[in-house]
Amino acid sequence: MRIRNGWAALLLGVPLAFMAAFFLVPFVVVVVASFQNAAGEWSLANYARILADSYYPNVLYTTFKLSLLATVVSFLIGYPIAYYIVNVVRSRAGRRLCYILVIMPLFTSNIVRSFGWIILLGRQGIVNATLVTLGLTERPIPILFTELSIVIGLTYILVPFMVLTVAGVLQTIDKSLVEASLDLGASRFVTFAKVTFPLSLPGVIAGSLIVFTLAVSAYVVPSIMSGGRTVVMAMSIFEQYGSLFDFNFGAALAVGLLVVTLILIALSLFFIERQPSGRQAVQ
Amino acid sequence: MSDGFIRVERLVKRYSDLVVLDDISLDVAEGEFLALLGPSGCGKTTLLRSIAGFVDISGGDIVIDGRSVKHLPPNRRPVNTVFQNYALFPHLTVAQNVAFGPRRAGVSPKDIAAIVDESLTTVGMATFAGRFPSQLSGGQQQRVALARAIANKPKVLLLDEPLGALDLKLRKQMQIELKSLQQKLGITFIFVTHDQEEALVMADRIAVMDAGRIAQIGRGRDIYHAPSERYVADFIGDANLISATVAADRTLVVAGLSIPAGHAAPAGAEVTYLLRPEAVTLTCEEPPKASGGIVVRAKVKDVVFIGGAVRVYAVTDGGQEFIAQQTALAGATEFGRNDAVFLSWHCDSGQVLTK
Repeated sequence: MRIRNGWAALLLGVPLAFMAAFFLVPFVVVVVASFQNAAGEWSLANYARILADSYYPNVLYTTFKLSLLATVVSFLIGYPIAYYIVNVVRSRAGRRLCYILVIMPLFTSNIVRSFGWIILLGRQGIVNATLVTLGLTERPIPILFTELSIVIGLTYILVPFMVLTVAGVLQTIDKSLVEASLDLGASRFVTFAKVTFPLSLPGVIAGSLIVFTLAVSAYVVPSIMSGGRTVVMAMSIFEQYGSLFDFNFGAALAVGLLVVTLILIALSLFFIERQPSGRQAVQ
Repeated sequence: MSDGFIRVERLVKRYSDLVVLDDISLDVAEGEFLALLGPSGCGKTTLLRSIAGFVDISGGDIVIDGRSVKHLPPNRRPVNTVFQNYALFPHLTVAQNVAFGPRRAGVSPKDIAAIVDESLTTVGMATFAGRFPSQLSGGQQQRVALARAIANKPKVLLLDEPLGALDLKLRKQMQIELKSLQQKLGITFIFVTHDQEEALVMADRIAVMDAGRIAQIGRGRDIYHAPSERYVADFIGDANLISATVAADRTLVVAGLSIPAGHAAPAGAEVTYLLRPEAVTLTCEEPPKASGGIVVRAKVKDVVFIGGAVRVYAVTDGGQEFIAQQTALAGATEFGRNDAVFLSWHCDSGQVLTK
């Protein structure tokens, strides 16, 4: 089927115009604002202020540390779930049910889910009540409003993205490769370590990138689960825009976060790409 | 050679109500090349996978070298498989693929290098050791899959239609190579195929399978010339198969002719008269009457030239269709459609099949 040039221009032009109006323009506005002072003159003062003392670098460090933790925990929880859905559940209906269960949390708002965690993790919450009842601890341990509770909240929201991405790749792995490995004398565990896992790495990398970037930019979960005691970048940015109305400094923080995130992702991909795909898998 | 190196005893495999393997017993001698031949769905691959350990069998036993392997997982059985789609590990090089088995067996790195080199040399792929499977053609992948399987020095090599994906010319070449490789290594081969010619070319013995059972097992020659039943005769080679009833005087009426039925079937039995196309002689003139000779008039319906031979489809006056195959030397009589011809054969060439 051939599309006439006029139609092609229209079909391409509408989404392009949409992207330009609602993505590119705001982005450029933010970048421009970050290089201006309150009076609208060009200035690097906003960036100088970020680096002026250790406060914002520390916030940035906390943001990446919590995001990385959330990514690692999402992998540790999400990979087995994905493996279970793809390789253990036999029936098609069972797999469908599992997928629905996995994405179910996404049907509810982040805010509602975070408040759910507050009920669970609080001093009188189910978790502490259980620990005390079992005699594992004498007094309730502080979980809520710590970095741990932020990681728990982020992981809970982000695991579905890891599961879906990893499952997508696990599904494409030819079952006869697993049989070939068993046939050649490898145990189930060695087969997983030498065949299934290396072949699923692209899914793990893609899932980790999605989870990490979503965690870095998360606002609702950290602000509720931290109780204001821990600050991540998204909270600082929102504070500048929403409370202090310093759009220029807020923009500089946003651009700073974006640039550092991009650099981190680029570096990690660079190191992954450098690994010869085979060698690390064999020995 | 000792008999019953591999013994399959009364093997049954059921998937809920569906019986895939129905009470199969089979003995394979050490160093033998056995082909499991049958159409798709006959259970040949399930039988092979049962021996490899990928199928939970419902009943019976599998004994390899005097030891029941029924309860052993695939990785503990002394067999290796060449898979239909080769199943090479895409993230490993050719050498790493071949080294996979010996490495699992705990062979020292130095010996592994020697084994990899030897195995790849055996299949003529030594110069490709550093490549990845995606960089190889189908035929090359096939050879690597073979090298990977023999690197483990298995007692039995199971091959699941390994030549199915190759083009005809390469397939014929690989048939010969596989056969000589098997003779050189002395490993027992069990080879699954739906291609009767492939089975005839390579195998010492052929087990013809039908709907979960072994219809006949024996040398290709014996199966071709003395099939046990109509199904086997039909599956191996071309055949004229004519349904008939044994008369009270122990004769069959085939194409309006009375033919002695032999002693295989009692009077009144429904039987099949088998006549191989190459046993039928085609002439324009009526051949002289000879003792035991059978002659019938027919009309040519179709002629197919197949290179070394010509296959003639002819219909007798009574409406019975026959296939006759004649060697087609240059200058031999050419038959055309609607030619009146005589079909003749010796009564010993025909066989009466009771099943």
